[in-house]
Amino acid sequence: MQKYWKLLLSQVKLDTAYSLRFWAGSITSVIRLVMLYAFWQAVYENRTTIVDISLEQMLTYSVLAVLLSSYIAGAGTQLAAGVLNGDVAIELMRPYDYINKLISLDLGSKLTSIIRETLPMLVVALLFIGIHAPHSWEHALLFLFSTLTGILIGAQIDLVVGLLSFWTINISGLRILRASFLLFFSGTLVPITLFPQWLQIVCTYMPFPSMVFVPVSIYTGQIQGADIYPAIGLQLFWLLVCWMVSRLFWLLAKRRITIFGG
Amino acid sequence: MIEVRGLSKHYRIAKRKQGLLGAIQGLFIRKYTSKKAVDDISFTIASGEVVGYIGSNGAGKSTTIKMLSGILTPTSGDVLVNGIVPYRERQKNAKKIGAVFGQRTQLMWDLAPRESYDLLKHIYQIPEAIYQKNLHEMTEKLQLHSLLDIPVRQLSLGQKMRCEFVAAFLHDPAVVYLDEPTIGLDVAAKSRIRSFIKQMNEEKGTTIILTTHDMQDIEELCRRIIIIDNGQILYDGDLHAVKNSFLHEHVISFELDEEKEEILIPGELEGLVTYIPEEGNSNKLTLSFHPETISAAQVIAAVLHHYRVRDVSIAEPKIESIVQEIYERGA
Ligand SMILES: Nc1ncnc2c1ncn2[C@@H]1O[C@H](COP(=O)(O)OP(=O)(O)O)[C@@H](O)[C@H]1O
Ligand SMILES: [Mg+2]
Repeated sequence: MQKYWKLLLSQVKLDTAYSLRFWAGSITSVIRLVMLYAFWQAVYENRTTIVDISLEQMLTYSVLAVLLSSYIAGAGTQLAAGVLNGDVAIELMRPYDYINKLISLDLGSKLTSIIRETLPMLVVALLFIGIHAPHSWEHALLFLFSTLTGILIGAQIDLVVGLLSFWTINISGLRILRASFLLFFSGTLVPITLFPQWLQIVCTYMPFPSMVFVPVSIYTGQIQGADIYPAIGLQLFWLLVCWMVSRLFWLLAKRRITIFGG
Repeated sequence: MIEVRGLSKHYRIAKRKQGLLGAIQGLFIRKYTSKKAVDDISFTIASGEVVGYIGSNGAGKSTTIKMLSGILTPTSGDVLVNGIVPYRERQKNAKKIGAVFGQRTQLMWDLAPRESYDLLKHIYQIPEAIYQKNLHEMTEKLQLHSLLDIPVRQLSLGQKMRCEFVAAFLHDPAVVYLDEPTIGLDVAAKSRIRSFIKQMNEEKGTTIILTTHDMQDIEELCRRIIIIDNGQILYDGDLHAVKNSFLHEHVISFELDEEKEEILIPGELEGLVTYIPEEGNSNKLTLSFHPETISAAQVIAAVLHHYRVRDVSIAEPKIESIVQEIYERGA
């Protein structure tokens, strides 16, 4: 366990090694926030609500969704690069599990982005944009738990996409597909409740809403009361499914390296 | 220490047909050809040996090393390293081995070597005292002190490779695999690395398997060599025996001080050496001879006696030419 922790820390060191890149990250995320604000201001120009959502609620949702969406990627890109340059084979002769190593590094990156992106964005959002507080204390705690689950689902899906590079040479198409699916169906762009009814039903059969829409809606109170626990249960179900799929793919990928030589 | 019995690795290569039709067909039916990269080899290596594993490109050296290190599962046959079957207990095997692959870095590109080493300490669970001692000794031997805190991407190839060697030996592995570790390095870096390998073997008793195309690496480090060609072992034994019985041709080239219409072989060398014509050079005299019939010193003395010589060069014996000779003789 300790070795994975050290791997995580090494990634933190790496991410903070270039202070210029570090602060550039902070600035871009604040700019994104300002653009978000301007966008919704414009949309709400001549009305007070859209489908019963007020500007303040919409801004709160969007800001949190954007904050969260920077955590739902994972180690897939690194994995795909490792497959391409043949490093995966070399990694098999280390006394650790390569996938667990990648997950540790990824968590390390996420730890730095809390400081680099999330904190500055939160400060700006609270001071200037005026997002509202969580629906209740209970909602705040469940939001944190739900967020963590959502992030883990995202990391597993990203690994699965990365693992596909063992079977397809060109993975960039898949990554674009994944990114656009995520943006739309996770609820990062707009809350899923704004979708037409049939599309909302389709969404319940996908893991994507569990990544952003569910945790943020718990924060804002769009999901409340008796609906909360089934929503979290569904998240946990998707986490289990995605984890099993990524492990299966990794087993197959490992078999492929050790038998076909990469 | 290392036992290999009847080891084979056959790669399966998908045959692709040309054109669109072929590509579509390939989605449904695939035809495979098999490539015998390693074909029924056996050898035993004792603890503390330094063995040169040589052969031409594509002979199967890297494939063998990948099977020994647990990266590849053999098609058939047995491997046992430190009493472990490497491909079955990959991580357990990993703790006891080290490796350097030429032109492939195991250090973290954006971090200084020291940080990579610190990470390796945790990954291999090296006790702090041993880690400090090894790091100190090894950086001393490779003269790395001044490089430890520079990001790896800023180091030259030679500096990087020296850093790689520390990474491979830091956890006191019982066996170290070196797959063309000196490729592309300058003479100074090569010689530092050679003396490091030698010291590690002598002081720690590390077993070493070395593949290289550099005959000097082999001569300075290995008593025993295993020659592999087309996946099969051609020779396994003493280096000097193979050199004496197979490496017949020594080649010496003289650059003469004057241009001559026709360069004649000195009389006393008649029948003992062979004249190798050189294209375009009318002032070059290149002779090949068998070291058993006449010594290099005698050849040089004879030529100096007849000609004014500006320069003499002795061609390096090539591993490829040994392999070629053994092959031709059908040994
Ligand atoms: N992953 C692979 N798939 C198919 N063929 C391979 C693979 N790796 C190596 N080969 C083939 O196996 C043979 C031996 O390769 P290798 O062990 O790398 O040789 P060496 O290291 O001696 O140059 C070569 O003909 C090479 O083309
Ligand atoms: Mg090779």
